[in-house]
Amino acid sequence: MTMRRTLTISALVVGLGMIAAPALFGMFSRAPDGAVMIDDFRPFMTPEQVDLFRGYLTEIDAADTESRLVLEPALTQSGVVDPAEYRIKFASLVLLNESWPAIEADMTDLVDRMEDNLDSYAAVDALPNFKLFPWFFVAPGVLISAIAAAALIADRRGASTKALLRVLAGLGVAVVLAPAMFQMFERAPKGGDMIEDFRPMMTVERVQAVQGYFITMGAAEGQLRNGALPLAAESGDLPLDQFVAISQFSEDWPEIVIEFAPMIAAMSDNVDNFAAVDALPPFAMFPWFFVAPGLLVVVLAILSERRPREYLGIENVATI
Amino acid sequence: MKNHRFRLVVAALAATALLAGACGDDASGVAAADTTTTATPQSTDSTATTVATTTTEAPDEPVVVPKPSFEGELSGLFSIAAASCADTEVTGSYFRMLQPGGSLADGPFVPNTDSTCVDPSFTPLLPGSDGGFVSGGFQPAPVPPFDADGNGLAQSVTAPTPFFGVAFAVSSEDEGAAPLITATDGTLTGELSGWTANYANLVFGQGTPKPDGSLPGLTSELSGTIDPATGAYVLDWASQIVGGSFNEFSGIWHLEGEFAAAG
Repeated sequence: MTMRRTLTISALVVGLGMIAAPALFGMFSRAPDGAVMIDDFRPFMTPEQVDLFRGYLTEIDAADTESRLVLEPALTQSGVVDPAEYRIKFASLVLLNESWPAIEADMTDLVDRMEDNLDSYAAVDALPNFKLFPWFFVAPGVLISAIAAAALIADRRGASTKALLRVLAGLGVAVVLAPAMFQMFERAPKGGDMIEDFRPMMTVERVQAVQGYFITMGAAEGQLRNGALPLAAESGDLPLDQFVAISQFSEDWPEIVIEFAPMIAAMSDNVDNFAAVDALPPFAMFPWFFVAPGLLVVVLAILSERRPREYLGIENVATI
Repeated sequence: MKNHRFRLVVAALAATALLAGACGDDASGVAAADTTTTATPQSTDSTATTVATTTTEAPDEPVVVPKPSFEGELSGLFSIAAASCADTEVTGSYFRMLQPGGSLADGPFVPNTDSTCVDPSFTPLLPGSDGGFVSGGFQPAPVPPFDADGNGLAQSVTAPTPFFGVAFAVSSEDEGAAPLITATDGTLTGELSGWTANYANLVFGQGTPKPDGSLPGLTSELSGTIDPATGAYVLDWASQIVGGSFNEFSGIWHLEGEFAAAG
């Protein structure tokens, strides 16, 4: 076998490798899962939405503080209800008061992670659709393989392979340049950063914890609105206008539920999708998955083209 | 002797009645039959079986034995009796929500602090404008299904029900087969695939089985009973939420009321 054929066969193998890579990495199933996740998070990954969520947390914090420092003392010290009875009658409110620091810390962490990754999300969202990713390997792989095979056939027939090898080199250059064209060197590492940051929040346990927070908050809000404030009003000595934060919390609660519920849904529905994306090779390596085989094809095509047609071994004997 | 005379009188009366029935028109025939059957105004099957009796020495007289009422596929209105839960015992129709990882029997249940029940894990249901749900037909939510605050607006099956500050509304959506309840010797089974709770701008399929026929997680088959004579019924099922913000929570539905056949 000639060195020229060996080089062309190597290029063919590189092409076949590109075709096989998506299947080897499970990209045909994982990349579409990633596309779904990117789509589902789009409504929430904006500065406005992050500010909205942060504002709600501030509002709930104020209501919690007011219920602990103003409402409870007002009701218990005025004799409307004794402290022990308060804890029984408003058990859900007391639960919120006791667990709010942990809830706030955890929810704030979620919002922080979202805010920290707004740019990264935007970068990933600007990449070509994840569903197409496997085909970015398969399509050039097929072309490279086909042209390398054609060059081998032409070589065997003694025809010129110069044009085919130049096309092959051109294809290699295109594959090398593709990541730069799609700004993958900048965007892919940001996607990697986002995956790192989202990993702690995209688990079943974390999602269920957040679901539980809303039960705690919702039950407390109901007791404030249906129990504690009416009791204060009934007493006659506790004007409701001193409970500004609580009133605001109750007024906005339906809106809070409506705004947060889809975000929790996005988290819940994408735990598996996140795991699929997380199982892909590191995002930062993706540009090199194009550059490396592309360069290899270029070098192989150029070397092959420059090699003279030498006849060795069996083929040489046969020619003689 | 006295008994013999009585039998003769009864036989004569029966013969007269038969003669009158044979000579009369259809309406009078029905009227005559009605006098010998138990009143079943809501029966889904008004046909009755005529059998010969051997309990009397008088000439064989037809005794009409009513087939059990409310047997087979029940098409009509299952009215929803409002819950009564002022004390710890809850009667009537209610809803409970089971938290993920819990058990249908023991909970933990979501405490709905908008509930008027002593035990806030029970959310009382009130009948809607149709009085209940229709077996054999759909009762879809209006368009749009929500107001600006995310409260469900459907109100034909149940009245919108406050739950965590937002009202959920029940509708029966066309998700495949129409609601179908079947009675067999007082036992109810069937499908309520389109039973839907509209809440906080979200739509929850809360029927059983799910529209694809599955029973995921704690979703149970529909079960219940019906009194063949009165139509008083009880229906129970659980439906686990799959996906979304309430993933793996389960709705537990308990309906009581009376069934009234269509037409």
